[in-house]
Amino acid sequence: MTTTSPPPRQVILGVARSDAHAVANHLIAMRLRESGFTVTNLGVCTPLEEFAEAHTAHPDAEAVIIGSLNGHAYEDLRDLPALRSAGLLQVPVIVGGNLSVGSKKSDRDHERLYELGVDYILGDAEQLPLLLDLLRAEARPPLSRV
Amino acid sequence: MSEIPGLRIERRVAAALPPWPDIVAWLRRTDKPTVAAVLAAADRRGVPVVQPRCGVGDHERMRELLQAIEAEGRPSVLTLTIDSYTRLKHFRSAAEALRRDPAGLNGYPLVAHGWRRGRDLDASVRAPLQVRHGSPDGRELFAVTLAAGITSFEGGGLSYNLPYSKNVPLAVSLEAWRQIDAVCGILADEGVPIDREMFGSLTGVLVPPAISLAVCLLEACSAAAEGVRCVSIAYPQGGEVHQDVAALRAIRSLAAKYLPERVAVYPVLHTFMGVFPRTTATADALIHYAGLTARLGGAVKVINKTNQEAYGIPDAATNALGVRTTAMAFTPFLDFVTVDEVRVEEERYWIEREVAELVDPVLDQADGQRISAAVEKAFADGRLDIPFSASVHARAEVMPRRDAGGGVRYQNYGRLPFSRATRRRNEQCLRGAPGGDRLIEAVTADINYFLAFDRHQDGDDHANS
Repeated sequence: MTTTSPPPRQVILGVARSDAHAVANHLIAMRLRESGFTVTNLGVCTPLEEFAEAHTAHPDAEAVIIGSLNGHAYEDLRDLPALRSAGLLQVPVIVGGNLSVGSKKSDRDHERLYELGVDYILGDAEQLPLLLDLLRAEARPPLSRV
Repeated sequence: MSEIPGLRIERRVAAALPPWPDIVAWLRRTDKPTVAAVLAAADRRGVPVVQPRCGVGDHERMRELLQAIEAEGRPSVLTLTIDSYTRLKHFRSAAEALRRDPAGLNGYPLVAHGWRRGRDLDASVRAPLQVRHGSPDGRELFAVTLAAGITSFEGGGLSYNLPYSKNVPLAVSLEAWRQIDAVCGILADEGVPIDREMFGSLTGVLVPPAISLAVCLLEACSAAAEGVRCVSIAYPQGGEVHQDVAALRAIRSLAAKYLPERVAVYPVLHTFMGVFPRTTATADALIHYAGLTARLGGAVKVINKTNQEAYGIPDAATNALGVRTTAMAFTPFLDFVTVDEVRVEEERYWIEREVAELVDPVLDQADGQRISAAVEKAFADGRLDIPFSASVHARAEVMPRRDAGGGVRYQNYGRLPFSRATRRRNEQCLRGAPGGDRLIEAVTADINYFLAFDRHQDGDDHANS
């Protein structure tokens, strides 16, 4: 019996619209590539519509991963409900980074993002491959939030 | 309305310039040395010159800043650092910000101020000026720079695009800088050498020496083809002295190999461009270390940092102190300082070999023609690449790592066409590098390398502010 290698696993990666931090973005791209993923990296200052366009172009992508280090995640992701109701970005959206301005973070910052439709908020980028494995195993709505 | 030969610029900017013969005549005046002359003299003396960065929005404040730094720091070249609006050609926004709140600008908007004020700044200090910016297309800024009588202009079609812009095609930036270099060629024939500095610091984060030098050499080859006769190749201090000294020395041998003899090439060291230590003592030590590295590496110029680097833009006194801290590395009482020449030579061999493996295929492909198309293709293919690119036009598949001694190596080569020997040597160097499986943490620690030395500092005067 012959086996064929599975098709490469794809993800879409980028940094939120108002954010120009490139270093973490490239570190995460490297980490995912080392774990065998094909990464479409949209880079810094990427509006949500461009994430949606990339997902339309790569419908097999397992997730859209958005970094935000400048504290403006909520503002930058505001259009997520509108895009989703237009049938776009029907894929898990994972957000990570420094998600609000100020040194004190509250649960409310995370809740606001979940209310927009963000599926996962991840504190440790090293856990991305694990989260993506879990997502694939559970090709249905999330069991729990990481 | 001024026509600068071959330079296609916005009509509104062109209309405000003096006639080209007047620009040339003003550049030719002899009351002040050109930057090229200052560099040539420093090279003959064997003592590097020091140059601070500085730029504020308001004209009077800018003049005061230049004069204060000159009085207290005695730099041999001074800087106009240009604001972000001007860098992106948003000249109207720069002019508006200037009217509304000049203190809100992060540099001097030279195009909005105009060439007459540029001449006023130039006349207010003894040292010649250089314009430093970060524009993928700096043509209008260059035109005003020349009209202001300023003889040094930093940047290039790769080094001022990839770290600074998300989506400017390389063809666009390379053509803009080709036009700038062609004007420098015309001026060189007129007897006015314009110093063109290539920004080898790139993204400023763990730049492998061969990548920095390869990018600068390709820009320098393009510049030389357009007639540029004075090129400064800037290399960013990585922090491992053997590697840094080797890279600076390699600039001269690589220039001899790749550039025509009539082009004067000056190695420039940029004091550490990455995450800067927060304590004054550690920051000052790093600044002085850069001076020693420049001295040992035969640099002709150092662009220095200040001990306020971790906190933002320094005041004039701190800036001048940074110049003096750097220059103290060149005093005779430090003549005893030497470096392990065997280790330097080994590093230099490998740096030059890596550069050749990156640059030669591109030059072969260009086959004596303009190299821009071959360069563009190489970046698209990933055969040329830079780490942490802001631009989507470099693949950024290369990932650097520090070895156990602090030298900058390659964790990932991406698609760089390195030979087996080069890879084997790199892997040997990385053996024993700390970090293990948690790669993101390991590279982050490499980026924050000099922060670790802050921990040895007690009585810290900044940490609680």
